[in-house]
Amino acid sequence: MALYLIGFLIGFPVVAAALMWIARNAKARAWLAFICGTVIAIATLALAFLEVGNAGTFYVFQNEYADWTSFGVDMLLGLIVLVYAIKYKKPLALVLALVQLAGSIYFEFWIYQGISVLYSLYIDRLSLILAVIVGIIGPIIIIYAVGYMRDFDRHHRSEPGYKDRRHSFFALMFILLSAMFVVAFSNNLSWLFTGWEVTTICSFLLIAYTKTEEAIHNAFVQIVLNLIGGIAFIGGLILIGQDAGTISLNEIIELGTYGMLMLPIGLICLSGLIKAAQMPVHRWLLGAMVAPTPTSALLHSSTMVKAGVFLLIKLAPCLGNNAPGLMVIAIGSLTFFFCSAMAISESNGKRVLAYSTISNLGLIAACAGIGTPEAVWAAIFLMIFHACTKGLLFMCVGTAEHHIGSRNIEAMDNIFVKMPGLAKCMAIGMMCMFIAPFGMLVSKWATIVAIIDAGHIGALILIAFGSAMTFFFWAKWLGKVCAVAGREPNIERNRVNRSEKAALFTSVALMLVCCVLFPVISGGVVTPYLVDYYGWYSMEMATGNLVITSSMIVIIIAFFFIFFGKSNKRKTTIYLAGVGQSLNRRTYRGSFSQPVEATQRNWYLEGWFSAKRLNMPAIVLCTVLIVIAFGVTIWTGGVLPW
Amino acid sequence: MVMIKYIAALAFIVLGPFIGAIVQGIDRKITARMQGRVGPPILQPIYDVKKLFAKEDATVNGVMDFYIILALFFAVFAGVIFFMGGNLLLAIFVLTLSTLFVIVAAYSARSPYSDLGAEREALQVMCYEPFMVLMPVAMFLVYGSFEVATTVDIAMPLIVYMPLIFISLIFILTIKLRKSPFDLSTSHHAHQELVKGMTTEMSGKTFAAFEIMEWYETVLFFGLIGMFFVSSAWWSWLVAIGAIIVCYLLEIIIDNNFARVKWQTTLKWSWAITLLLFVANIAILSFI
Repeated sequence: MALYLIGFLIGFPVVAAALMWIARNAKARAWLAFICGTVIAIATLALAFLEVGNAGTFYVFQNEYADWTSFGVDMLLGLIVLVYAIKYKKPLALVLALVQLAGSIYFEFWIYQGISVLYSLYIDRLSLILAVIVGIIGPIIIIYAVGYMRDFDRHHRSEPGYKDRRHSFFALMFILLSAMFVVAFSNNLSWLFTGWEVTTICSFLLIAYTKTEEAIHNAFVQIVLNLIGGIAFIGGLILIGQDAGTISLNEIIELGTYGMLMLPIGLICLSGLIKAAQMPVHRWLLGAMVAPTPTSALLHSSTMVKAGVFLLIKLAPCLGNNAPGLMVIAIGSLTFFFCSAMAISESNGKRVLAYSTISNLGLIAACAGIGTPEAVWAAIFLMIFHACTKGLLFMCVGTAEHHIGSRNIEAMDNIFVKMPGLAKCMAIGMMCMFIAPFGMLVSKWATIVAIIDAGHIGALILIAFGSAMTFFFWAKWLGKVCAVAGREPNIERNRVNRSEKAALFTSVALMLVCCVLFPVISGGVVTPYLVDYYGWYSMEMATGNLVITSSMIVIIIAFFFIFFGKSNKRKTTIYLAGVGQSLNRRTYRGSFSQPVEATQRNWYLEGWFSAKRLNMPAIVLCTVLIVIAFGVTIWTGGVLPW
Repeated sequence: MVMIKYIAALAFIVLGPFIGAIVQGIDRKITARMQGRVGPPILQPIYDVKKLFAKEDATVNGVMDFYIILALFFAVFAGVIFFMGGNLLLAIFVLTLSTLFVIVAAYSARSPYSDLGAEREALQVMCYEPFMVLMPVAMFLVYGSFEVATTVDIAMPLIVYMPLIFISLIFILTIKLRKSPFDLSTSHHAHQELVKGMTTEMSGKTFAAFEIMEWYETVLFFGLIGMFFVSSAWWSWLVAIGAIIVCYLLEIIIDNNFARVKWQTTLKWSWAITLLLFVANIAILSFI
């Protein structure tokens, strides 16, 4: 039964994509997107319900057609990149695509032919978690996109050269989901690689969606960097196939725990780091901002970058105190530190979110690199909460942008009065990103504990300072969103699309449920997974503490319903060192009886934390570390003497 | 043994604000004497708050009091976790949550003075938060536990293992207690260009709640100082109380002898001291 569901989850989104492509009528497409999204969500939940109690199953599944399909898809993807690279005259992308094609062909005919993979598909609790993230949050974002793209189309229709390509937009989104399910359930690394590359190409096409010069440029930045990742992956596969004669993920992980295959595992980790937009290649995810917001929401929350960290978490048992492990820890914690710093100087809301994503993925990567069960526990929860929250925040910023005309944080002044519902969603989403008792911070706490146990004091210091900066950039944005003054017209009622509203409220509910049920998810899914996978797991985060944080969330929610906005005190004006005139515009009467406006901008501390200042040293440092890690791996086989 | 925990928590909830208020009264008295004034009665802070409760209810918006209630609640919550001997890291995270609500309350007024105060408070959190995370880490490296209660079970007090970290605690507390030279966000003295910074728009009961929150926080910080000195010996408690008194007197002297510094200086110094003393302390620990 579960195997059929897995097949359905991989196959159905492709069918949905085809339907999206065929349906050129916006109304029909909206209904289809809604129905298909719901079907995917229900199928995912059914699978979760069936399999959550099982330790994990490997399915005997050998199918020549599937193998050839996988190979065919690889070739097709390569050709797509080739066509684009020729069309837009990008020689670097062309060369890399050719190298990857050559690698795929070599692997297919000289390596893969001699290997038989008995268990091509599997399911365990980790892949189930990824599947639930993809299968629930993905459809929510697609449903959000229905409304968002309607407005997007209306805003851009008058521009010269604009063509309504929304059918391909939705088709690509569904294909991304299918590819993510492939990544989640494939034990055959050759298939996993295909899913991996499909996510890359879909993201490429989604980033290039508007076909403006900037979009094309950023899309090629993304594809070049991810092709390097892809080449590292296929190189790793070839080496593994040659040395070990297997490409089953479970067997490779087992060999890895004995300190074997360190070089190819390092290559695959590198590919994962690139996919997760870690330094030094974090640029591609920032560039991805040019795409319509649902793309960002999807890439940052449930697809693409999550594939990268998923694979790192999967490989965690092989990492730890060896060269690839230390590389992943170092890159992850440095990325966390530097990207948290750079987020301070950003006033563009979407870029702040992007930096925050990259830094949090760094935290997840660092945990995976440590490789102990406690660290993996933290990594899994960071992944879950990041997915719930980041999707929500991107959707909020997207809606805000369509209604206030800007994605700049300064423009969100008084948004609490203009769009109260949206502002509340945004505020709760932000709090979930950085403050106790919400999920991300509790997971970060677990990260700290795991890192002390593993004795990586350097990483710990980076995380302590990075967290402090995280607090600063979120707190000032949160403050801006929470400002309430004056009476401005509500521009939210009857204007925000129903699909967007539904998606936002569902996301908030989902996020809060996850936060409150933290102890249950831990006890019911994550801890059993670790026990099965590692054979042991000592509960470092005492359940008692989790219960305390969960109840704190309940208290906050209760306080919110009891006290929020219920104040019946007399309203007065704020103090402006002069007679106030207008609350909305914060004007007061100046010394010549003229109205003076008090303006106030947030601090961005550009002199200290700007990307201009920090980017170069960070990139150089991370690149050098990666080179050293590979040098050591090649020289010593990756297993360190201590 | 379990009973003691609940008694400690209850004592904190009931007696905490009184101790905090009296300490604040003594602080004002000593400060006044240093400045050649007579100063208010010791109980003046309590009179002030009592008067605030009697003030007319007025507010600049309908949400600020909500945030301040949450801030007060979680400040008490943090103290309860701490004095029950619970997880130090959790207590610190909850305290940060409380501070966040104060920041949001100040922002919510959308007043230039309180906005700027809130901004500076957020910056101050950024200054001291690394230390607040690293201090429990160091404790964990020494005792193998984050539980505050561990300190009373062990014969050697923390100060023996973490003398350098204790020095940075004193530095950080100057920021946390909002004392000069680090009273950027709001000040207890009337010399601010920011009027009252974060608290500019708070009035009546809301402001009273803020004051009470500061009392609780003061007691919690005393707990942090005391934690370094208590051990399984009974007389260590006397040493702890003595240490708290000495440290607070030191804070008052610092408060009265330094002019306020810019945020750049605050950030630079607090991060440098946190990092250097932490690393030095850990290095020494790993050698012995």
